[in-house]
Amino acid sequence: MKRIAYGIAAAAISIALLAAIGALFGHRDLFPILIGGSVGSPFALEGTLLKSVPLLLTGLAVVIAFRAGVWNIGGEGQFIAGSLAAFLAARYGIAAALIASILAGALWASIASLLRIWRNAPEVLTTILLNFVAIHLLGYCVNGPLQEPSRMYPQTDAAAVALPLLGTSDLHAGIVLALVAAFASWWLMYRTKEGLRLRAIGYNPNAARTAGVNVNAQIARALAFSGAAAGLAGGIELLGVTHRLFERFAAGYGYSGIAVALLAQLHPLATIASAVFFGALVTGAGELQRAANISSAVATFGQAIVILVLIMFGSMRARD
Amino acid sequence: MIELALIASVPLLLAVEGELVAERAGMINLGIEGMMLFASMTAVYAAQLTGGIAGGIAGSIAGGIAGAALIALVFGAFAIHLRADQIVTGTAINLLALGITGFVYRELNETFTRAVPHIESNAIAIFAWIAVPIVLAWALWSTPFGLRLRACGENPEAVRAANFSVEGHRWAALAIEAVLVGIAGADLALALSSGFAENMTNGRGYIALSIVIFGRWKVKGVLLGTALFGAAAALQFAMQAANHGIQFHLFLAIPYVVTLVILCGIAGRVRAPEGLGK
Repeated sequence: MKRIAYGIAAAAISIALLAAIGALFGHRDLFPILIGGSVGSPFALEGTLLKSVPLLLTGLAVVIAFRAGVWNIGGEGQFIAGSLAAFLAARYGIAAALIASILAGALWASIASLLRIWRNAPEVLTTILLNFVAIHLLGYCVNGPLQEPSRMYPQTDAAAVALPLLGTSDLHAGIVLALVAAFASWWLMYRTKEGLRLRAIGYNPNAARTAGVNVNAQIARALAFSGAAAGLAGGIELLGVTHRLFERFAAGYGYSGIAVALLAQLHPLATIASAVFFGALVTGAGELQRAANISSAVATFGQAIVILVLIMFGSMRARD
Repeated sequence: MIELALIASVPLLLAVEGELVAERAGMINLGIEGMMLFASMTAVYAAQLTGGIAGGIAGSIAGGIAGAALIALVFGAFAIHLRADQIVTGTAINLLALGITGFVYRELNETFTRAVPHIESNAIAIFAWIAVPIVLAWALWSTPFGLRLRACGENPEAVRAANFSVEGHRWAALAIEAVLVGIAGADLALALSSGFAENMTNGRGYIALSIVIFGRWKVKGVLLGTALFGAAAALQFAMQAANHGIQFHLFLAIPYVVTLVILCGIAGRVRAPEGLGK
């Protein structure tokens, strides 16, 4: 219970701080626009839910990795790898496209586990560097081989398939998939031997090794699971929302996943609530930029404050 | 071309040298990316405030250092004082810097679109490539302070047992890092570019962290690593200039691929400071 209270407090403090800084720069309307633009109307709510989907999946990616003690900061690159694979496989149908995105995310993350196991390169750096490689690879694709035939803009044509929409809304079936992924991650982590081993190497790798866990293989599988979730996020965002790829397609979802996971205290089911909160923040920040010319970067600032406040709470708890 | 490579890698080198000191004291500062980005912004802002050529140059360097110091204060408060996980803290700081600079850039857009004084880069290049390495090699390996600072990275318990303050030495290391990274930010914005741009550090901080590992936490090693990286980057520019067209985007990926290769070059033979990250 205390953990939930800390999470809510951290979220509230970050919003309050945003409003205060807005007021400092003369934007007294920052708070009302942020709320109105994220949960104030059915349209705004729909936007919030749509943004929550990729955040839930990249958040789960970070939960899985951090629980295993693996620093996967590469959600952004795995997201892009997943979207590229989904785009290429879309002509074979929606299932093929989604599976391709999962596999591509896992494979892109596995480059980092390969480098760690084979060359001792720390994954915290290799995953980040691979983000930059993926971003420029995407830039190359949408300006080159995958650019729309008319060559008007640096973007692709619409993908060959799309996720079905729910009713008459803009919400797509990816929401269901993301929720399934959250429950599947919970089941994997708490109801399977694989999950026990995964948490064991995160908790104490030496004890796990003594107990007969192959730590390197477990790290590789944790990174693959993690990358799979981030890759699926990219595939769903492409097939459900943007339908096209363009240079800034990833939009920071991979990095935001870290804040999502930490606010959820690395619990897969709490990640659902955390993703909706940050989805609202990102959506409200978008409205701030449109309506009041306030940079949408305030969402990133809010994420940082949430993490820092949680650290403070954590150290308070340690001193209890 | 060699001269160009040496000048273009000055911000990276200063960041590498700053991070070398921090890691020798036992801290991995992933937030160095955000530190440099924030310093670039405060350097430009200070240069606009002071105005003029001479005042602008002095102001920008002072502003860059002040900005980096502010970020160092946040990092130290969490990583040293609260003993928070350094990687989580660093990640939060990068988001913080990205958010603040993005917000302020739009709020004070008039300030940041005005022309800024240009810093002549040669003096800073000599400072970064010759003066800093000599001073660091001496201070870290030939003074009692340097010995204690390195002991904080290897065996903080022993430092405590000898009645010295681990926290104090780590704060000192962070201060040195902030000065170097602050100058790096000013150099990036006012010598290599003509002002501040959003996310202008573009991963330089992460590349710096990689080069520190490649250089095995030694001054000569990190100089060699930065020189190798600078040569690869210069080669990329030359190839880019000779080859117009789409491939431009693939060339942009080269520095990061080179860094990945550099990270792999260490294979098993690294021995990090024992107390790093603890």
